[in-house]
Amino acid sequence: MKYSTVQNWYPGDKEGKGGVFNFVTKRGMCKGENSKISWTQIETGSAITWKYPSCILRGDNSTGEFYSVAVTNNYQQADTGTKMTHIGKNTKSTIVSKGISAGHGQNSYRGLVKVLKNASNARNYSQCDSLLLGDKCGAHTFPYLEVDNSTSIVEHEATTSKIGEDQIFYCNQRGISTEDAIGLIVNGYAREVINKLPMEFAVEAQKLLQISLEGSVG
Amino acid sequence: MLIINNLKASIGGKSILKGISLEVKPGEIHAIMGPNGSGKSTLAAVLAGREFVEVTEGTITYLGKNLLDMLPEDRAKEGIFLGFQYPIEIPGVSMVNFMKTAVNEHRKHNGLEPLSASDFLKLMRDKKELVEIDSKLANRSVNEGFSGGEKKKNEIFQMAMLEPKLAILDETDSGLDIDALRIVANGVNKLKHPDNSFIVITHYQRLLDYIIPDVVHVLYDGRIVKTAGKELALELEEKGYDWIKKEIENNVTA
Repeated sequence: MKYSTVQNWYPGDKEGKGGVFNFVTKRGMCKGENSKISWTQIETGSAITWKYPSCILRGDNSTGEFYSVAVTNNYQQADTGTKMTHIGKNTKSTIVSKGISAGHGQNSYRGLVKVLKNASNARNYSQCDSLLLGDKCGAHTFPYLEVDNSTSIVEHEATTSKIGEDQIFYCNQRGISTEDAIGLIVNGYAREVINKLPMEFAVEAQKLLQISLEGSVG
Repeated sequence: MLIINNLKASIGGKSILKGISLEVKPGEIHAIMGPNGSGKSTLAAVLAGREFVEVTEGTITYLGKNLLDMLPEDRAKEGIFLGFQYPIEIPGVSMVNFMKTAVNEHRKHNGLEPLSASDFLKLMRDKKELVEIDSKLANRSVNEGFSGGEKKKNEIFQMAMLEPKLAILDETDSGLDIDALRIVANGVNKLKHPDNSFIVITHYQRLLDYIIPDVVHVLYDGRIVKTAGKELALELEEKGYDWIKKEIENNVTA
């Protein structure tokens, strides 16, 4: 099962007043052998987002995936992530979370990878990247790992980077405006996740990312 | 094409350029040489429109317009190209996508329709051949994981794609082996045209064995202290920059 969402609820005014609160708890169970659930999400709207699409990997050899891009601008906050519960044997999960913060936006990744006692040879790979635009925004990662099986392999990687003035100027010098340069750089950064979306969705998502960040660099 | 008149500029309150005057005519290649810290890269930064350099005095006229009033991207679209001394990496953005955006911005500026995907890829192929760059480079992210030489060749490739009227190459030769140097120089020579001009900023005479300048300027302590034909470069190579320094000091004391 592949479940893709692109969310752009009203984020409120420049100060975040009047914006939608978005709270989502989606869960899927991989019951049968070799079953698979893949969540892909692009989060650009709402004043506050709490969203944790999760997978219970009960069937042997089942797979769970979570690919996420969350953008916060002005006073938006996004707290998002996933829970991967490994129950069956040889279960596999992949988490790729990309946060983009601009203005006073705050982005948190909050996730749990839980490997139960009988989930031998469970495998998890998590990657959490944060991109910051400006110096008033923030990025946070809260990865929880609970591993009760010694044959499992659980990996976590995290990076934080900033869009540099140098990158923007390099684009400017090739005739690309600052606004377009940010769009280009952000879409490049989020490409790994956007590529997981169905074609027509991916085009929308790219535009949405650019619009959400309009005016974020003065 | 370009007229710089008594240009003074500073970075963070520190005066770097102390009165530069220079005229570049269409079809000319100017070489700017000088020791480290003489202001060569600052001059390039002013021409391209970097914000951290503050112009305190003087004027720059480019194709009859006041260059200092123009945004960096507008300068680029009007035909100014800067070959970066340290090209910037942009992870995740493919060269194809980057160049396509840049080329189409230029076309829009000139009242042309954007290129179709197939025409664009053909243009890229042709230019890659012209500057002899590896076709694999084009599928990678902008400068990401490129070697020093690859980055410099990529600058020349971008120059070929954008066909600037005035190209400023800021120490494009630094860190290049002899083969890469030849490729860079050949690129410049192939793009040379009676209507376009080059400002080649370099430390060494070596590059000027391949790119023959019409005029050589020596920049020292924020001023152009000597201007002559291509033989000046050879003289500098032989005598070193100390020769210039001594000559200036003698002039001051005399």
